[in-house]
Parts: sequence; structure tokens; C-alpha cells
Amino acid sequence: MTLPAALFSHYRRHPLQLLALAAMIVLATMLWTGVHHLTSQARASLDQSESAVAERQQVARTDGSPVTVDDFVELRRAGLCVMPWLEVSEPEGGRVVGVDPLAAGCFQTPGGQESPWGGELNGRPFVDISEAAELAREQGSELSLLVSDDHSKGDLPPGYQLVPFSVGPATGELGDSFLLNLDALGILVLLITALLVRSVYLLGLAQRRDSFALLHRFGVPHGRVNRLLVVEILLLAAVCVLPGIWLGRWLAAGLGSGFGQALEGLFDQPLYAGQGGSWLVPLVTMMAVILVACLADFLRPIFRGLMGGNRRYGCLVLLVLIAGLALTVWVTDLLWLFIAVAMVFVAAGILAPRLIASLADWRSGHDRDLQARWRHRELAVLARRLALPLVALQFAMAMVLAVQALVTTFESTFDRWLAQRLEADYYVEVPESADAALALDWLAEQPGLSASGLWHRVIRGRATLPGGEDEEETRVDVFAIGPVGPLVTGWELFESAPQPWQRLQQGQGVMVNEQLARRQDIAVGQTVTVLFGSQSFELPVLAIYPDYGRPAGEILIHPSVLPAEFETGFQSLSVSPGNLSIEAVTDGLKGVWQVEALTVRDNRAIEELASAIFDQTFLLTRAMTTLTLILAAIALLMMGWVFFSTRAWYFRLLVVWGLSRRQATAQLVRLSVSLSGAIALLALPLGVWLTWVLVHRINPIAFGWSLPMAVYPRFWLELGVLSMLIGLSIAFLMSRQLKSPTVAPVNANALAGGER
Amino acid sequence: MVDSLLSARGLNKQFRSGDEPVPVLTDFSLQLGAGESLALTGRSGSGKSTLLNILCGLEKPDSGTVQVLGETFDARSTEAASKADARWGGLRRQQIGVVFQEANLMPALSLLDNVRFRARLAGQSEDDCRDWLERLGIGELADRFPDQVSGGQRQRASLAMVFAMKPALILADEPTGSLDRHTAEAVIGQLFELQARHDCGLILATHDPELATRCSQHLDLGHLPQT
Repeated sequence: MTLPAALFSHYRRHPLQLLALAAMIVLATMLWTGVHHLTSQARASLDQSESAVAERQQVARTDGSPVTVDDFVELRRAGLCVMPWLEVSEPEGGRVVGVDPLAAGCFQTPGGQESPWGGELNGRPFVDISEAAELAREQGSELSLLVSDDHSKGDLPPGYQLVPFSVGPATGELGDSFLLNLDALGILVLLITALLVRSVYLLGLAQRRDSFALLHRFGVPHGRVNRLLVVEILLLAAVCVLPGIWLGRWLAAGLGSGFGQALEGLFDQPLYAGQGGSWLVPLVTMMAVILVACLADFLRPIFRGLMGGNRRYGCLVLLVLIAGLALTVWVTDLLWLFIAVAMVFVAAGILAPRLIASLADWRSGHDRDLQARWRHRELAVLARRLALPLVALQFAMAMVLAVQALVTTFESTFDRWLAQRLEADYYVEVPESADAALALDWLAEQPGLSASGLWHRVIRGRATLPGGEDEEETRVDVFAIGPVGPLVTGWELFESAPQPWQRLQQGQGVMVNEQLARRQDIAVGQTVTVLFGSQSFELPVLAIYPDYGRPAGEILIHPSVLPAEFETGFQSLSVSPGNLSIEAVTDGLKGVWQVEALTVRDNRAIEELASAIFDQTFLLTRAMTTLTLILAAIALLMMGWVFFSTRAWYFRLLVVWGLSRRQATAQLVRLSVSLSGAIALLALPLGVWLTWVLVHRINPIAFGWSLPMAVYPRFWLELGVLSMLIGLSIAFLMSRQLKSPTVAPVNANALAGGER
Repeated sequence: MVDSLLSARGLNKQFRSGDEPVPVLTDFSLQLGAGESLALTGRSGSGKSTLLNILCGLEKPDSGTVQVLGETFDARSTEAASKADARWGGLRRQQIGVVFQEANLMPALSLLDNVRFRARLAGQSEDDCRDWLERLGIGELADRFPDQVSGGQRQRASLAMVFAMKPALILADEPTGSLDRHTAEAVIGQLFELQARHDCGLILATHDPELATRCSQHLDLGHLPQT
């Protein structure tokens, strides 16, 4: 028999150990690949979305009349790179955009990013302009003329001007924030997978310690055994990583459809990048992680040399923890913030099992009851021996706490944002040619509406807040609302002057959103200068209202404040018809405006649909974190079971000494539940801290805005129950071993008195 | 013949190796009185450990009856297993001391705490636990943990645990099997001395024929079970 055969024969005798290690590598790879793949695909999708809806410039006529094909011809003759963009509303909702691929050719720069309408025009949402023109005969349509960013105002012929062109909401920062959180999740998952693989591998090594000692006694050098172990783990990783990657991609594909739908909801276009992406990155990453996790022992002598004694090492780790905590408060750079978070996690991971072991040792020294003393000593042994899976579980729990809190905050923010923006039951677009003032008079005269309904008019446009000497000016969205009534007066206000809504109605000031107030350091009572075109207004700030994470700056004013030259971007009526039917209202408006059709949006249906779509996205994040938690729990369960098996003899001794199996099992339950409970308890502060870092540090540093932070004690309770279940499961598996006939411990360590 | 402390009648026990039954004990009987000692000898696998396990209720025979310290256990009785386990548990806790070849101590407790733990379970005073360690010559090691002392010292601590519970019957399964001859003699000498002084019964499973001659009775299970 050769040396490798002798060495690997261990797994022939213990195939379950090999299976456990292989399963852990496959599952860990699956998990990380899933997260990585989702993050990559989400990033690609968002980039695609961004490029599709990025703000560009268009040419408009200075006399205000809509552009026509004649304008396009004139501009092309003047040598401008112009492309027609014909947007047609579809009867069942949504839109189709007709573009001219020939005219779009001049938009393409060599080596530049491909235009969203590049490639095949498949109707999602881009079609050839001839097809859109056909549709436009039956449906409402709007022609725009996009002009290349290379052109400036001076290039235009007289009678034309450049104006911004935007086709979607500016949600880039929200998306980036979501991706950044997914990235943080991916790094944590990688750390957890490394811990899990290492814990199973070390367990296998511990079981083979006697064999290695025997080989050494037979004259085989340690180095040769170590080299064979490297080959062994490389072979195993090579075999297990590929199925893990395949499973991870399969998992990501299943969960990714939810994200795709969410993107579609956000951008009104099917834009999820779907499958694709490289196999190489997960393959190389996982091979590296497995090798480092399993072979880190070779680095240990160097590390020990640097660290010095045990006490010095403990103090050093504590210092790292304190430094990490301090850095997260003070640093203003994202990279340093991530380093600080890593420092805290590493230190917490090293300290947590030690803390449990030390507390258990301390308790045992003060226990008068000898059973309790024994139990606490056993707990200390377990905490030391199961350190790695315990830390993995602690990290997973902390991550779940943070992600759950974050997602729930996102969810409630989104719900409140929807409720705020969709306060009225219906939303009626004011046609371009229509006079909104006529509609206001008509609405005010309806007794049914006055008695039970609510309505207001919204005028949207842009304004500018001039900057200081060294500051740039800020473009803000303007919402002019009137009459100011219960549809808005119920909004929560962070800060307000007395009677803010009445004063807004009287045109005595302006309200600003939270993000703008934060960025510009605006407070209630202060006066802000607002430029509507060339006209400047000094308006006192009446209140600051929450924007629920919308990153754009906003101001809310009464329409009477707007100057005549204000460029209205869009006008609408928000209507809750009360006892009247919406049909009665729209029929009346059609009569007033002398139009045949009106665009009416059912806000309740939109709210329901939007909530459903976002729920799926949140489900994705929750699913990934829950999977991580389950994997960590299984690892602890598996390790706990195997390790408890090595201690089974001592629980059998209790039975030999006369305790009933039930009493011995009760001791076992108390021990395993104490262990899993202790780690859940230590995960709690780490999870709350991580939530704080994500909400109050990472988001503001990365994006300049943040969501409100909330903690959810119900999750704490859920984790407590989960930890109890893990403890009970270990005890259950172990108690089955108490039923088997007495078997003396077989390893040399146990025969020499057993670990304590 | 002294009063019977333990009697076993018609014990049968077989294990299975694959589909094949492997008989270990066939219609086996024995009797032991207070203050008596019985040596069980035989080759490895002859059933010594299985018999000791049956005699203290850690394993159940396929058939037969064990009477010990006034309690009767019939393998074919309709008594609920949990009730029988509880009665056996009571006996092992207070009256039957069991010593194995190795690992008789809880590794997480000091030698003294191990002895006190065992005495407490048996309902005996913990006051003389240190005395027992001293009588066995390891008093100065009382606060050490099992992995900090030698194998012989651990076995002496095991004896201290057994005597601290003041048992009526001691079952020892090759208690000196892993010790050197000198240490083994010292440990076994102390075992016999204390057994005689406290007038308790002793059943000793051993490979050592010389040791067997020191017991008042000797039973050779001899053969390997027939397959």
C-alpha cells in the first residue's frame, strides 16, 4: 500500500466525513456564486437601464410649438446629428418607442458604449420608426428630436433651442445603493463560506490526527503529509466547485426573474440582463477561498510569531475591534469604511468564542452545583472546538438581522413613498392643448365632489437653486400643488413653521424635501433663492418633508407663486372622486376640454402592482440571506453533531452513574441550547451595528443620502427561536447516540483524559 | 454460602454480524454473595464486557433473569422499559460502582470534583472525597484535571469515585488493562483491600490468570463465540 493510499484510506472508513466536506464546498460555492451572479447581473441590468433612460438633450422650437418631420429635415440639412424619437402609447398600457437606426448612426462613437436602441429592434421597447408611425395613427404619440451631446446651442439654426430629454425616473442612486448592499452581502457570504469550509476541513483533520502521528512515527516527514493534503484538497475542490457554480447560477436564475420584474416596473422596460457572465471569476475565487481556508495552518507559525503570546494576542484583537469601531464613525472614505467593517468582523469573530468559553469557565468556577459546573466546563470546551462554525453562524445571523432591517426599512419606505405620491385614487393627465384653469373651475363647482371627494392640480417642472461663490447651482424638481387640501396636509413633516400648509396655500413660502435640506443644509425659517428661468424668488422655508429615499432635490410650492414664464414640464390632476364615479369626473373634464380621450391612471392598481413587484425584489435579498443562515446553521448542526459524538462517552458516563437517559438528554439540551443561544446573543449587537453602518455610514458616504434606521425586535425573537431550534436539533441527534450500547472512546486524546 | 447479592439465571445474548446471529452468552448463570469476588476471564470477544453491562443494566439480555440487591429484572417481563431503566438507574447511582479500563472521569472536572460529583449522585456526603484520594495516594493531585495526571493516577481516581459512593457491588471491566505491571499491582491491591474492608461484592473481568486467582470465585468464559 502506498502512502497516499494509506492517507486517503481514512475516507474509505469514514465516507460521511468526505461527503460532508464535499457537500460544504458545493453548497458554499453555490451560495457565493448565486450572490455574485445576481450582483453582476443586477449591475449589468442597471447599467443597461441607466443607459436607456439617461438624460440626453433634444431640440425644441423656441416658439413652443411641437417639432415635426420638417424640423428634422431642416436640422439634418444644417449638419446636426439628430434622431427622431416617436413615443406611442399602447392601448393596454406601456409604450413603444420608434427610432430611426440610420439617423442614430451618427450617435455612435468608435469604442463608445452601445446605445440602448442598438442591435435588433425587437419592440422591447424600441421599434423601427415606420412601425411606430403606423401605430401612431390610432394611438396618441409624441415626437422628439434627440441631438448628439457633441452639439452646443451655437450649432443650432435660429428658432431652435436645446432642452433636456429624459425618458425615465432617475433611480440610478437607488439602484447603486441596492447593488452596494448586495456587494457587502457578497463579501460577507464569501467570509462565511470560507469559515464553513475551514471548519469541516479542520474537523476531518482532527479525526485523522492519530493517523498522522502514526505515519510520523513510521518515519514519514510532516512536509510530505502536508503536500499530500494540499493535493487532496485541490482534487476535492476541483471536483466540487464546478457543480457548485452550476447550482449557484441556477439559483440566481430562479431568483433573478423577480429582480427583472422590479427593473421593468422601475423603468417601464424589460431590461434584466439575465443569464450570461463568466464562470471563471467564481471558479478562481472559490478555489482560492478553499485553498486559503483549508491551508491557512501553514501561515499560522508566521502569524503566531507576529502576535506573540495568547494574552498579547487577545489584547491585540481587542484593539483591532476598538480601532475598527472608531474608524467606522470617523472615516469618510468608502474603502476605509469597508476596511473598518472587516476589522470589526474579524475581531468579533476571534473574540466571540473566546468570550463564551471564558464566561463559561468563570461560571463553572462559581457553581456550587457540580452538574452545573461540569456543564459549564463542557460549554467552554464546545465553544473553543466549534469556534469556526459558531463564528460563521454569528456572522450569518448578524447579516440576516442587518439585511432584514434594511429590506424592511426599504419596504416600508417604499410603501410610504407610494402612499404619499399616490394619495389620490386617480391621476388625470392634463392634455397639452388643454387649459387646466377651466378644469379647476369645473371641479370646484361639483357639489358631489366638494361633499365627499378630494382633488388638486400638480404642475411639474424644474427650477434652480443658485450656488455660493465656489458652489455649483442645484437643479431641483418643482411640484406646484393647489388647492392645498387633505391629499397633502396629512404628510408627515420632519420640521415645520407654524401653520405650514395654510401658508403654502397662501403662497407665503416653500417646502423642501429631506435630501435637498441635508445637502444644502437648509432649515425651517431660512430663506432660499429659487430661480424659475431668469426670475429669482426669495422664499421662506415652511417645512421639510420626507422623501423616503428619493435622491433628487424637490421643492413644493403653490401654483400662484410660479411666474408666467415658468416652463411647465407636465400637468396633472389628482382626484379622489368620493361618492362620484371617476367616469362622471372624466366625462365632465372631456366636456370642459373638448377632447375625446383622457389618460387616467388608477393609483390603487398601480400601488398594488408596484408593491407586488418590489416585494419580489425584497424576497430575493431575503432569500439569499436566509440561505446563508440555513447553510451556517447546517454547518453548526453537522459540526456540533460530529463533535458531540466524540464526547458521547462522557454523556454515557452519566447514564452509567445512574442518571436516566432523559436526565442525561436534559443536560445535553441545556448545553447545546446554551451554546447556540450564546452565539445568537453575540450576533445581536453585531447585527444592529451592521445595520447602522449600512444605513448611516455606507449610504451617506456613497450617495449623500440615507434611509431612516429602524430595528425590528421581532427578527431578534425569530433568531432566538432559530438558535433554540439548532440547539435542540443537535441535542436530538446526540441523544440518539445515548441509546446505543456503551462504546468506549477510541481516540488517543480521549484515552489520555479527554479535552477540557 | 453468604446471602446472595447478585444472581443471574438463564442469560442469553446474541449479536448479529450481517444476517448471521453471533451468540455471546448461552444459558449463562452465576451467583455472588456480599464480600465475595468473582473473576471473569476469557479471550477478547468472549462476552465479558457484555455480561458486565447486562449485570448493571446497560444492556438488556435476550432472555434470562437478573436479581441484584433485592431487585429482579426479567428480560421477558412486560414491565415498561422506562420503568426498568429507572430501577437500574437507581441501583447504578447508589449501589453499583462500575469501573472501565479507561476514561472513567469527566475531563472537564478536576479529580476531586469528579469524586465529589459521583458521591453527590449517590447521595453520599462529599466530606470524605479528598480523604479517598489521599488513601489512594493521589491527594496532592486532587485539583488536577484528568489529562494532567498519568493513566495509573486516573484509575486510582476512578476507584476513589467508586468507594466514595459506598457501593454494595463493584463491576470492574479490565481496570488495569492499560497500566504497567507495577502500577496495575498497586491499583488492584487497593481495589481488593477496599472491597474486603467494605464487604462489598466484586466482579472483575480480566485477561490476567494470576489476578483471577486472587478472587474467591473464577469463571472462564474461555471460548470465542461460535459463528
